[in-house]
Amino acid sequence: MSGRAEQSNRSGQPKRSGEVPALALRGVTAGYERRAPVVRDVTLSIAEGEAVALLGPSGCGKSTLARVAALLHRPYAGTVTIGGETARGWRHRAPREQRTAVGVVFQQPRMSADPKLTLGALLTEPLRACGRGVEARRLGAELAREVGLDEELLGRRPHEVSDGQLQRACLARALVLRPRVLVCDEMTGMLDASTTAALVAVVERYRWRSGAALLAVGHDRGLLRRWCDRTLDFESAGGMTDSGSGGLRLRRAKDRPLKGAEHARTPRPPDTTTPAS
Amino acid sequence: MAGPQATQAAEATQATGAPWASRSGAVPHRPGRRALRVGVSAGVMAIVLAAVLLVPLLIPADPQDVRLDEKLQAPSWEHPFGTDRLGRDLLLRCVYGLRVSLLVGLVAALVATVLGTAIGAAAGALGGRADRLMMRLVDVFSAVPHLLLGIFIVAMFRPGVWPVVLSVGLTHWLSTARIVRAEVLSLRSRPYIDAAISGGASRTRVAVRHLVPGVLPQAVLAGVLMVPHAIWHESALSFLGLGIPAHQPSLGSLTEAARGSLLAGDWWPTLFPGLFIIIPTLAIAGLAGAWRERLNPRRRSELML
Amino acid sequence: MSALLSVTGLSVRFRMRQGRHIHAVTEVSFDLAAGECLALVGESGCGKSVLAAALLGLLPGNAQVRGAALLPQGPDLLSADETTMAKAVRGRQVGLVPQSPAAHLTPVRTVRAQLEETVRELTGVRRAEARTAALEAAERAAFPADHLDRHPHQLSGGLAQRAATALALVGDAPLLIADEPTTGLDRDLVEHTVDELRRHAEDGRGLLMITHDLAAAERIADRVAVMYAGRVVEIASAADFFGPPGPRHPYARGLLNALPEREFTPIPGNPPELGALPDGCAFAPRCTRVAKACRTDTPALVEGTACHFPLERTAPAGAGAGATAGMTGPRVGGGGPR
Repeated sequence: MSGRAEQSNRSGQPKRSGEVPALALRGVTAGYERRAPVVRDVTLSIAEGEAVALLGPSGCGKSTLARVAALLHRPYAGTVTIGGETARGWRHRAPREQRTAVGVVFQQPRMSADPKLTLGALLTEPLRACGRGVEARRLGAELAREVGLDEELLGRRPHEVSDGQLQRACLARALVLRPRVLVCDEMTGMLDASTTAALVAVVERYRWRSGAALLAVGHDRGLLRRWCDRTLDFESAGGMTDSGSGGLRLRRAKDRPLKGAEHARTPRPPDTTTPAS
Repeated sequence: MAGPQATQAAEATQATGAPWASRSGAVPHRPGRRALRVGVSAGVMAIVLAAVLLVPLLIPADPQDVRLDEKLQAPSWEHPFGTDRLGRDLLLRCVYGLRVSLLVGLVAALVATVLGTAIGAAAGALGGRADRLMMRLVDVFSAVPHLLLGIFIVAMFRPGVWPVVLSVGLTHWLSTARIVRAEVLSLRSRPYIDAAISGGASRTRVAVRHLVPGVLPQAVLAGVLMVPHAIWHESALSFLGLGIPAHQPSLGSLTEAARGSLLAGDWWPTLFPGLFIIIPTLAIAGLAGAWRERLNPRRRSELML
Repeated sequence: MSALLSVTGLSVRFRMRQGRHIHAVTEVSFDLAAGECLALVGESGCGKSVLAAALLGLLPGNAQVRGAALLPQGPDLLSADETTMAKAVRGRQVGLVPQSPAAHLTPVRTVRAQLEETVRELTGVRRAEARTAALEAAERAAFPADHLDRHPHQLSGGLAQRAATALALVGDAPLLIADEPTTGLDRDLVEHTVDELRRHAEDGRGLLMITHDLAAAERIADRVAVMYAGRVVEIASAADFFGPPGPRHPYARGLLNALPEREFTPIPGNPPELGALPDGCAFAPRCTRVAKACRTDTPALVEGTACHFPLERTAPAGAGAGATAGMTGPRVGGGGPR
């Protein structure tokens, strides 16, 4: 694996605080109807190498917030800052370097994979979109191994593989441009325990090497507690509090110990996440 | 992978000895019937294309060859489809007529499909005001009966093949535009478009790589289904005397010319051109239908996995 | 107690092109008693949804079945014809709680209209009685009465799930089959939904819950059946399975250890293709305890475990493959911890 980001952080623990946050949302209000936004005035900041979980019931707007963070949905108010640089546009209007600095994985692999592309083409598509098609073959094979996809599967189309295999490809696609921030919107919501553990292991290995930050959105408290450094509760009203930045209507989830989870609070060396091969 | 499967199946049979049973209640799965339909349609189209392409090359006879001494002869070995009022061979005229009708049908369907796809895709991809404007345009066009509009367009030109193509093409893009727009709108909101944007894809790349390939099968299907429609439309215009000039054989002008003979009890000059309109259009529709069934990759849902 | 549903040797295969067959379910046998909840767990694509569809007579046309699934006073679910299934079985004897309730409900009609229609269809009562019966069904499923006049798209995931459950309960079927009833719901709703399902089991119904969510299974199941590549590889009481004795099949053990509350360690590799199953035990390529016999002979389900070298029950959760030798076979090389 190569990449600029990984060099800076290879030596030690991911940096925690005092630095420029990897991802910061300030006063974000967003939704699909201006009069009834689903997210109101949310402030949230994620440090380099930090993993933050956003917990909330379905329909509370956390997926919308994830889309705002990935510059895919224009908020009505508020700013998004990625690596210290404030986003000036959303979707196609965002500069390519900013858009690709955030990798995103969605809940439903079936919906997030173009049915016309083979898995191999799917996971290297961002490289080609950024004019780096020459690296596609090498990086594609490398990433496929990384996420635990057999060579033979790369020639198949989405309808010929299982949900788990397809989600592995979607995760690989999100990682192929080495993003500084990874947004996982209920990435494992449809998957069984073993595939969930395997995908989380892939994400953690990538983060360990690259120092990327993570925003994991979901509703599985047990999973997100185990996975992330910090867990934030998204309240049903759409507001949220970030203890990190002493924010507005934020409330930090109580750090109750989970049964069987006495090991593995972060930071965690990569060996608790055994390779999936 | 026949080996392991076969042994496994054999083992299982030994274990219980029970035979496999299809679910009697379930909708029967008959790949044979579909294959038959495709086979017949493809066979008919092969014969039609061969006739249309090869007959003018191989048979030197002229379909305009007037022989008044042989007029209105019933089908015989010499003239399998009989002859018309001017003693011209009807088999030859039908083949030439089909040639013209097919050409008009194909080109007109192409014009309609390209126009409809372009307008529908633009409306769907741009959205907002442009979308509303284009869709109102479609509504306005739909409000006018298209045969009337077609007659108006043909009437502006001298009779010939191209005015008919233009007339049919310009009046038949509406449904394609609607289909393509709806398809683009539904594709545009899929998470994989979000993923592509997040992966750095430009607007053009999203359109070319994800949207157009997504709607293309639907557009092509609409285009293929348009061919028989366009053939019928050409025949209708020619039958009304507004399309292809009467001396040039087309399926519509042939039926029109034979109208008088039918009243006199001579059935062959109308029957054969009529069959030539019906059979190829059914064959095209049969192939298009089979292709539509293949469009949805249902294998997984059939397996319920 | 006599069995409410007795499944023996159930196999389902799909006929594919070129005469190939895909064996989605192979030789599955289990009993389900009244008031009992059996959770059928496994990875996606292991055949568990096909099993549910087979029991409901909802398989697609290219499927072939074998075996028997008997209700105490009713036809064999596998050989009954569609008329019998539609008129006498589905809704009356077997209720289905579907996977995606939002898609299961008719989008253009209100919940009340759908409930009343189902009541009329199943019981033949008149309109006025149907109204009260529909209200009762909604109440049993804890569906709020003031939401009855809403359309499915106006409901949250949890309410849609309750609406679908209410539909399944209308006919007072003694057997409920829940096919992934908690997919896409958040944790609180998952717990709520399974608790409600559990309540229906406690009313004396039999509940077969198909799920990939082990936490949900742990919460409500009396017994757990683990499916892998179309076969049931382990069937055990929930207390033994989730408790200290733990599962005995290496796959079941691995699945449990993948939970974030436990080791959070995935099972290496991917499940096999159902169209290209290996000889012998289908789990052998991913198993750490694999031996020669595993690659040639398919293990039978003996004492609730289909494994040549099952793990000991006494091993504490997490000891994994390093546990001491199994009871039915000799310790063979290849065991050892990773």
